[in-house]
Amino acid sequence: MYALKSVAGALGAGLIGFYLGIGGLGAVRALAGYDAWDTEMSITFGYVFGVIGWVMGAGMWGAWGREWFGLRTYDRKAPGWQRYFVFNTDHKVIGIQYLVTFIVVFLLGGLMAMLMRAELTHSGHQLFSNAQYNSIMGLHGIMMIAVAVAALVGGIGNYAVPLLIGAEDMAFPRLNALTYWLIPPVALTLLCTPLLGGIETGWTAYPPLSVLTNNAQILFDVAIITFGLTSILGGLNFVVTIIFMRAPGMTWGKLPIFVWAMFATAWIALLYTQGFAVSLLMVLLDRVAGMSWFDAANGGDPLLDQHVFWFYSHPAVYVMVLPGFGIALEMISHFSRKPLFAYRYAVGALLGILGLSGVVWAHHMFTSGMPNYLHGPFLVATELISIPTGLIFLCALGTIWMGRLWLTTPMLFALAVIFNFACGGVTGIFLADVPTDIHLQDSYFVVAHFHYTIMGGEIFALFGAIYYYFPKMTGRQYNERLGKIHFWWMFIGFNVTFFIMHWPGIQGMNRRIADFMSDLNTANLIVSLAGFFLGASFLVFVFNMVWSWIFGPAAERNPWRARTLDWQTDSPPPLENFPVPPVVRGHPYDYGVPGSVHALFPGRGAEEPPRPPSTFPGAAPAPAGGGGGGGGGG
Amino acid sequence: MKANVIAAVVFWAALTLVGEAFALSDLFPAVGSDQAKDFDHIFRFLLFLGIPVFTVAVSVIIFSLLQFRARGPEEDGPAMRGTGLPPRIWLAVTGCLAVGVMIYPGLTGLSKLQSTGSGFGWGDTDAEIVIKATGQRWFWSFEYVGQDVTVIGNGREVVLPVDASIKFEVNSIDVIHSLWVPAFRMKIDAIPGRTTFMTVKTIELGTFADQQSFRIQCAELCGLDHSAMESPVRVVTRAEYDDWLASQKSK
Repeated sequence: MYALKSVAGALGAGLIGFYLGIGGLGAVRALAGYDAWDTEMSITFGYVFGVIGWVMGAGMWGAWGREWFGLRTYDRKAPGWQRYFVFNTDHKVIGIQYLVTFIVVFLLGGLMAMLMRAELTHSGHQLFSNAQYNSIMGLHGIMMIAVAVAALVGGIGNYAVPLLIGAEDMAFPRLNALTYWLIPPVALTLLCTPLLGGIETGWTAYPPLSVLTNNAQILFDVAIITFGLTSILGGLNFVVTIIFMRAPGMTWGKLPIFVWAMFATAWIALLYTQGFAVSLLMVLLDRVAGMSWFDAANGGDPLLDQHVFWFYSHPAVYVMVLPGFGIALEMISHFSRKPLFAYRYAVGALLGILGLSGVVWAHHMFTSGMPNYLHGPFLVATELISIPTGLIFLCALGTIWMGRLWLTTPMLFALAVIFNFACGGVTGIFLADVPTDIHLQDSYFVVAHFHYTIMGGEIFALFGAIYYYFPKMTGRQYNERLGKIHFWWMFIGFNVTFFIMHWPGIQGMNRRIADFMSDLNTANLIVSLAGFFLGASFLVFVFNMVWSWIFGPAAERNPWRARTLDWQTDSPPPLENFPVPPVVRGHPYDYGVPGSVHALFPGRGAEEPPRPPSTFPGAAPAPAGGGGGGGGGG
Repeated sequence: MKANVIAAVVFWAALTLVGEAFALSDLFPAVGSDQAKDFDHIFRFLLFLGIPVFTVAVSVIIFSLLQFRARGPEEDGPAMRGTGLPPRIWLAVTGCLAVGVMIYPGLTGLSKLQSTGSGFGWGDTDAEIVIKATGQRWFWSFEYVGQDVTVIGNGREVVLPVDASIKFEVNSIDVIHSLWVPAFRMKIDAIPGRTTFMTVKTIELGTFADQQSFRIQCAELCGLDHSAMESPVRVVTRAEYDDWLASQKSK
């Protein structure tokens, strides 16, 4: 059992590393005349060595580490489902590892949301103490942030980008595997925080509170610094892959829009993630090493942290939402069967958002007591970012106009992205303008707004993308009817929950509270009930995915009749994606253009327009010639 | 094409009318200050502007869902690439909207709210009544400057006179808190080591018992009992305020 060996090895080596770290530190401390055990310092050292042990034990030692000592490396070639449990360098395996891991994290975070809404059904205390509520709220926040940052980028991005650009794999496959294998310790560490008292600072971890609070903060800090590392390494990998691994003829002007979105995203992750890590590192040093970055009495400044933190965490919302835009536009073009409207403007918009993302961070701090002269410039920059965002809407709306809309589940999700983000974008104006933000900041209006943009914008795109790529990933077709039930259930539940949530915010309900004013009872009860309704919709999704993966009908190579390269290979694709390297000739979205060809497979004929699904002899596992079989009716 | 455009525009106009009617409904908590009046006005202005923008997206999506459906991928749509005039017009319109909103109510509202470039807070730096508000985990204390009156602890009423400009000088002794009075629509963070301020002009009588938005509320997560860190506010006539001050001093 390779899978068992790998996971047990990772756990075992991780535990050995953890105790070695604690023991080594204890020995040094004892020699220097201190107590051998210091909770926070010991945990920090144990964690660092534990994570190194974990990734080495998971297979990095064999596939990579041995090379550093001149030894011969080896791969664990695990068969079947077991390959998902080893240090696998195939981008398709890593993408699915990411997706499944983060769906689990998403469901756990969603469960926490259900608990929060259960507490908030009525003013006063229902289920939890303040400490328990804060802990659940903080975990919900950071787990969902992690899902939003990594599920679409790491999951769909890893899976689809090399396929879309006609590459064999990512530029640095082993680095790619490393970014995934760093995730489980992060998740486990975060789930351990309740054992040390629970995080009570929310996901933002503002000092001085995060310096003064309980020991759970140390777990939060080291886990999220590690998570930041995976984001940076992943960003680097995507930038290099997209620049150097494109198939011959895949010029920048022919790049699928999702790849452009991932390119902008990867630059943001690469350039800004350090901010979050640095802010947490400073908190860590304040706690463990007795420094005083944020202690005003000793010359520190609490606001320093907010500037450093938001310097990443505002660009981070574009790490979340740009891939969402990208994959939504991708699906909208294929399912409208029209060229992507104003493609060049959409690319310009993605790059414009990349450019502006770094100069808007302080709009999170309009009421923070920063000097008054800072408000104007950040207000201006923030309003400017609505111009490129508007171009994304032009692109989406122009593409569906006069199209031939095939309303499959992924298409419905893609349209919902545009709908939800329109609402989130409009409410964003209220928060960008200082005079309205003073009242609305840190209220439930903000909570509603960012759920509309991040959940409505990105998580809907993520689910759409999962349905879209499900046949490619698994070689099986999901159940279209269940998919549509999931969509409408989630869409209605989401909009009722979060649209109503604006109102308590305007009325003065502050966020992150276990108890609220009794005059908001009715509104909160409705939001809670709608929230439970929304939460239940994911049971349909999970059932559909598990059932279809095992029992679903075999999928064709190209059930959507899409033009992009990812659909021109088998479902699932072979190890290095394409039996013959593709040569790109035309634009990926030239629907309705007579004679246009996106790519050729030399020696095998063009992928389009010949319609029979199997272009590579003897490769397709699906029944040949099944026209429109798996996709279901519209 | 032309019939579709006309139908879609009519649909958009109808949706927009419904939306704007919704924007007229009663959305706001009680008004207690001059700044609250401004906030309500600006909020509604932005809502009137934002709804037609939102309905553009909604109406195009719904109209296309109804009008441009296909049963499968058999037929391709027209190869409209979106070059030339349409994206330029779109860019001009959205650009004008963004810059317009940036200037009014953004920058003009900001200049009305800020009296100094280098200070840390809202409103005038001078006021008739100055109150030093200090946050600590998990209650506020309010020192009425020059009056020898201090209100400490959750649930203790903070009494303010009507038609007066009141400056809160805000500070914290441990972690970051935030002073928020929903009825005044004003908020400023309390930062250790830095004195921030906000000046409000009260214009209406009101009590927490009648209107729960008359309360001081911590709006920045400050740990365990953050949700309980609040003090009721009572805005009274000048005579009642003087009586209250006197009664507090005698205690």
